[in-house]
Amino acid sequence: MIAIAAIPLLYLIKRGSEIDRASLTNLLLRDRTIEIYTTTILLASIVLLFSFIVGSTFAWLIHNVTLPFGSLPIILSVLPLAIPSYVLTYAWISIYPGFNGFWAAVLVLTLSTSPYVTLVAVASLRRIDFTQVEAGRSLGLSQLAVLRRVIWPQMRVSLSAGLLLVFLYVLSDFGAVSLLGVNTFTRNIYTMYRATFDRNGAAVISLALILLAMFIIALEFRLRGRRTVIKSNAGIVKTHIKISVGWLRWPLLTLIFTYALLALGVPFWVLTTRFIQNTESIDISSLISATFSTVIASFAGATLAMVFALPLGILLARRSGFIPKLAESSILLTHALPGVVIGLALVALSSKFPWIYQTLPVLAFAYALLFLAKAVGSIRASLQRIAPILHDVSETLGITGLAAFRRVTLPLAAPGILIGFLLVLLTAMKELPATLMLRPTGYETLATEIWAATSISKFNEAAPYALVLIIIAAIPTFILTRPDKSDSQAQSEGLIQ
Amino acid sequence: MRKIKATIVFLVLILTVTACGIGGSDSQSLTVYSGRSEEFIGPFLADFETESGVTLNIRYGDSAELAAQILEEGENSPADIFISQDAGALGAVAQAGLLKKLPNELLSQVPATFRASSGQWVVLTGRARVFAYNPKTVTALPTSIDDLTDPSWSSKIGIAPTNASFQAFVTALRIIRGDEAAKNWLDKIVANSPKLFEKNSQIVEAIDAGQIQLGLVNHYYTWEVSKALGREINVVNGFFGPGDAGNLINVSGAGVFNTSKNQSLANKLIEYLLTEKTQKRFVSETHEYSVLPNVTSPASQPTLKEIGAPIVNLDSLKDLKQTQELLIKVGLL
Repeated sequence: MIAIAAIPLLYLIKRGSEIDRASLTNLLLRDRTIEIYTTTILLASIVLLFSFIVGSTFAWLIHNVTLPFGSLPIILSVLPLAIPSYVLTYAWISIYPGFNGFWAAVLVLTLSTSPYVTLVAVASLRRIDFTQVEAGRSLGLSQLAVLRRVIWPQMRVSLSAGLLLVFLYVLSDFGAVSLLGVNTFTRNIYTMYRATFDRNGAAVISLALILLAMFIIALEFRLRGRRTVIKSNAGIVKTHIKISVGWLRWPLLTLIFTYALLALGVPFWVLTTRFIQNTESIDISSLISATFSTVIASFAGATLAMVFALPLGILLARRSGFIPKLAESSILLTHALPGVVIGLALVALSSKFPWIYQTLPVLAFAYALLFLAKAVGSIRASLQRIAPILHDVSETLGITGLAAFRRVTLPLAAPGILIGFLLVLLTAMKELPATLMLRPTGYETLATEIWAATSISKFNEAAPYALVLIIIAAIPTFILTRPDKSDSQAQSEGLIQ
Repeated sequence: MRKIKATIVFLVLILTVTACGIGGSDSQSLTVYSGRSEEFIGPFLADFETESGVTLNIRYGDSAELAAQILEEGENSPADIFISQDAGALGAVAQAGLLKKLPNELLSQVPATFRASSGQWVVLTGRARVFAYNPKTVTALPTSIDDLTDPSWSSKIGIAPTNASFQAFVTALRIIRGDEAAKNWLDKIVANSPKLFEKNSQIVEAIDAGQIQLGLVNHYYTWEVSKALGREINVVNGFFGPGDAGNLINVSGAGVFNTSKNQSLANKLIEYLLTEKTQKRFVSETHEYSVLPNVTSPASQPTLKEIGAPIVNLDSLKDLKQTQELLIKVGLL
């Protein structure tokens, strides 16, 4: 499994080692590279901070306050996941032509990444057993102390994993930074391929990016800490009661509505007006076939990702030590790499096997590799909060091996599997660079059709494809916002009494 | 659990079906990697299919990314033919020794300036660099790119420094005048605070909207933007004096792979794209310049001879590294 995740790394090391020493030092030590390092770190850190503020505020509001309109607030704060960052950026540029530069990128990337934080924060808040809060209060802890000693330790693991995903997302994003002219590593890597066809130089810059990602991952490992809070049961004994805030709920709701206006309203408005302005007739058959192609490829990718992720997630949740850490780091590093690098690594490898090159399985494999981190993270999170002793207990009760896996581990991992599956599905639908290289020849997805139209400035013709992409990506997003029912299910199945 | 099982079964089925569908290429089919967009080349390729009975498997992508992909594939490339939007991508693939020298009877159909000196690829169409301007506000037309450095043009010009065509122009400028003079010109342009755009079409839209008065673009964008907006626009093309670097002709071209098992068929496709009939359609439908001397220029545009494009070896447009470093130095990238 580690070997699979290491394919892109090995490719980069091979390519990078082909460069001569003089151009290597020239490439790494010139002012420009240092400037790119600074820009990338600043951009990713500021986006991380903002999406933490937005995401955790929204999660707290959604979980603790009685807001009007039922589940609309959570849907609105997570739905922007369905919008590709290049579409969002393009929409902003078209309503505000001077939209450019660093802070524009901060805005767009914060809008597109904060749903990741909201999602994990809401999920971990929902898992907190209110009896623990009550116990804390009855033992004389203040509200703040409960937050610090009971709630925070339980949220820390998944929240820091969510924030890491945000950071890595910014590192590997190309759509927003290229349209807004911000020189990050990823944009630089693309420029090197485009201008000079310099694969070795691009590999060296990618390795520098990897180095940065390694540092951040190590930081996250520390922040996450060794102690994880575990519970003796899988279920929630008592759910908490929401606070009623009276008229204050309207200004609070306005916060979420404003976010939705910026992240959803703007792209919808632009796409719809472009759609109406479109003078060319829409090719319905290509729209339908691109939709099916997108669904099939991303579905295959998400399924394959789960096949890889399940054993890894179990390993990471159960064992600590060198090997699991190595596995996790290499998966996360892959996630930091721009799609074009993963694409080329798989081109280099799979073109040696003509019977599989540029077929759907290779494309699905690329998706699985690109987004494995999302899948593994969610499976680990859902397994980790359950005492490992459950597995041991089941063994003493005579349920061993495959049976224990099927009757204990799998049901416990199920919510994580579902979330991971949906996240990979969602991201794979929007993926472009690896899709362009590895799709079967002639196989067009919604993302490639959007690219084909926008690359020749036919924005009106791209609009219907972008609208369909957003609509189908909204389906997994809706499922993601539903309350996690598995806790009560696990209990009712009589696993733990 | 049952759902997961069903999903896996479904997936395996899909994979098997697709795996069976692919493979087994018969001799009457060609795999085309096209960096030209489907919009511009698709109809011509479709006509070739009907007329020749050959099936084309066409893979559209960005020219430079396709070149990077082809370089990774090396000997294993499934492609028979590479059609590129610019000289650079073809040059890089040719330099790696992946393209076969085209037969002389094919090369001899176009003037020597429209083929690689190695004979590994040939130009299909040309597009002229022009200055697009608003005829109502611009009365004294520039005759040289140096006129644009005059302070009277301050804040009135639009350029797209990240665009490949603009970078090709700067490369030509470097080749014609030398690096120092090219930097000098760029510095003066930067001092005139031009408006920067990502795409040529945005420049033409900005001229039409009155935000700027003149922009350096390719000649066909006046048609493209007018068509996209569905109305006449307030923009026309102008040409600099003969031989000026600002009149560079950028090209699209094609080459056949060494590893292709259908080289004669691939040559036939190139031959088809170079026939007078197809070339005339390129001119009337995509508004580009033909490589054949006897085919007329796009509507109301001067002929290539009249433009007097600077003489730049196509092979030298390949490496944009120094051009980009120059653009970074003057603060345009």
